[in-house]
Amino acid sequence: MATVAGCTPHGRSSRTQRPHLSKMERVIVSMQDPDQGVKMRSQRLLITAIPHAVAGRDVVEWLVQKFCISEEEALHLGTLLAQHGYIYPLHESRDLTLRPDETPYRFQTPYFWTSTLWPAAELDYAIYLAKKNIQKQGALVDYEKEHYTQLHKKINHAWDLVVMQAREQLRAAKQRRKGDRLVISCQEQTYWLVNRPPPGVPNILEQGPERGSYNSSRVQMSSDFYKCEIERFRKALGRNRVKSSVCLEAYLKFSSQHGPHDPILSGCLPSNPWITDDVTYWAMNAPKVAAPTKLRVERWSFSFRELLDDPVGRGHFMDFLQKEFSAENLSFWEACEELRFGGQAQVPALVDAVYQQFLAPGAARWVNIDSRTMEWTLEGMRQPHRYVLDAAQLHIYMLMKKDSYPRFLKSDIYKGLLEEAVIPLETKRRAFPFLRKPLHSSPSPVLQSTPEEPAVTSTPAGGNGKQ
Amino acid sequence: MAREECKALLDALNKTTACYHHLVLTVGGSADTQDLREELQKTRQKARELAVATGARLTVALRDRGLATEERAEFERLWVAFSGCLDLLEADMQRSLTLGAAFPLHAPRRPLVRTGVAGGSSAVAARALSARSLRHEAEGDFDVADLPELEREVLQVGKMIDDMEMKVNVPRWSVQARQAAGAELLSGASAGASSAGGISVQERPGPCDPSKALAATVFSAVLLVAVALALCVAKLS
Repeated sequence: MATVAGCTPHGRSSRTQRPHLSKMERVIVSMQDPDQGVKMRSQRLLITAIPHAVAGRDVVEWLVQKFCISEEEALHLGTLLAQHGYIYPLHESRDLTLRPDETPYRFQTPYFWTSTLWPAAELDYAIYLAKKNIQKQGALVDYEKEHYTQLHKKINHAWDLVVMQAREQLRAAKQRRKGDRLVISCQEQTYWLVNRPPPGVPNILEQGPERGSYNSSRVQMSSDFYKCEIERFRKALGRNRVKSSVCLEAYLKFSSQHGPHDPILSGCLPSNPWITDDVTYWAMNAPKVAAPTKLRVERWSFSFRELLDDPVGRGHFMDFLQKEFSAENLSFWEACEELRFGGQAQVPALVDAVYQQFLAPGAARWVNIDSRTMEWTLEGMRQPHRYVLDAAQLHIYMLMKKDSYPRFLKSDIYKGLLEEAVIPLETKRRAFPFLRKPLHSSPSPVLQSTPEEPAVTSTPAGGNGKQ
Repeated sequence: MAREECKALLDALNKTTACYHHLVLTVGGSADTQDLREELQKTRQKARELAVATGARLTVALRDRGLATEERAEFERLWVAFSGCLDLLEADMQRSLTLGAAFPLHAPRRPLVRTGVAGGSSAVAARALSARSLRHEAEGDFDVADLPELEREVLQVGKMIDDMEMKVNVPRWSVQARQAAGAELLSGASAGASSAGGISVQERPGPCDPSKALAATVFSAVLLVAVALALCVAKLS
């Protein structure tokens, strides 16, 4: 069988035989044992008799005996063998299943065994279809005709070879006895039934997504390999480890704190927009909304990061700091964020502006940084880049976190916010089901394009979500 | 002319490759014998000789700069068919190597798979070698001695393919095949008609040749008897 031309022409060993196929091969070979193998009988045709036919029942019996398994399991195993093409039925040759009765089967020749080492190539399939075309005078099955035309387009350059080989292979086959010719053509047909299954039949060689890269790359067990392994393990020993009790504690705390805030775990009020088509939830939790919900305000007390990340929270924090006359800290922090995430071209100008406004001695909004950090910053500012103010920013951040933030949480502003915060009411379920709004995800474009038909989902029926 | 020569050589190589493929199909099966291995060896030797000859001719023709475009296109077509044929041959040789190693004949560690193919394949090999019949001179452990030889030959063929790719640069996709879809049905009708009756993939039994002759004589005898009876009846009445 030809490899895909040009792909891996003469280098092998990138493919390995899949383990289940090797196992099946071993089973088949052990069936061939003259003493302990399966009972063979002869298939009688009108004139010729072809040996080595096996009844389905005998196969199942042999499997039960050999592996000491139940009959059901043996039947399943036998069906797997048939589906992978190691055994093929002699009467309904397109139906590759094992029947535990007198239906005769025969073994596939090792050349045509299903293998991932030698995947079936398009050129071979084309030659097979051409041969079949000649034999059947053009009367191919539908899907085969389709494949034929597709292949003619795909490997058009090799079509001369296809036709030549097809003719010659048929002529070579004619040199054999009648019975042998029959057997070989059945074998080939089974091979292609397995490797190019007809529509509706599942492809056995398909791997599911979880099987993925099974190909175990063979590693040479040399001294280099072991040296690398030793080095790797030594580095692994030196890594910092955190006790799992500590990790899990933090994890538990996080989960219990954020549990009531999770819309999936604790439901969301007023209602889940994906279910009821009511977008109030999103409107009420928009980034900049005048009246934040209670859950949101509570979340600001979890950590300083939460407070700063929320635009509404940051705004209120800024108000608080202005009352305390330390708003320049937050402004400085925001300016540093802008520097870090802003455009590269603005970096030098911005660094200068920040310095002039916040860091220079006698600046308008001078921030209090310790001397060492100030030294580092000044040195870094000779060649400004976007991370040059990181140290100062971190200092101010920790200052706010340790100092201003706890005071904010205890302040009247925050307490007032908590009291004012809104708890949205859950939407009432309509008592009568036929008045409930129909559940559609979004108006279908088909409906919208025909304006004379009433749009089904444009307005909610009744004030479901409104309080 | 060079083109006819190349075509003839390519046809011969094609025939030998097809016969080799047909022989390799039965390795490991119930018809696997020392004779088969010997036939394989002779066939592949012939195939290799043909390949070398064809390759040399084609390389010479394609490296000739002063070639007309349509002649060049013709030679490129032949080249693509030739390299495809060589790929098939190499793959079949590799398969026969692995299968031959997996199913040794001398000390049968593995019993051969009973596939139902029982007859000899000497006719196929004879066709490949364009000989009338084949003499088998294999000793008892031919397959053991043959395996390393086969391995070497596989590598040689691989090297030959690589060399040819280096020497001649023919992009495969630019070649337009001359045969249209379904071309095998047209002039292959002679090969088709005779085999259509014989080979069918359903197990519908068809008469084989001596039996066909027998049936024909029986039928003609019955016909003669019927005609004689009718004459008698006519004479009597």
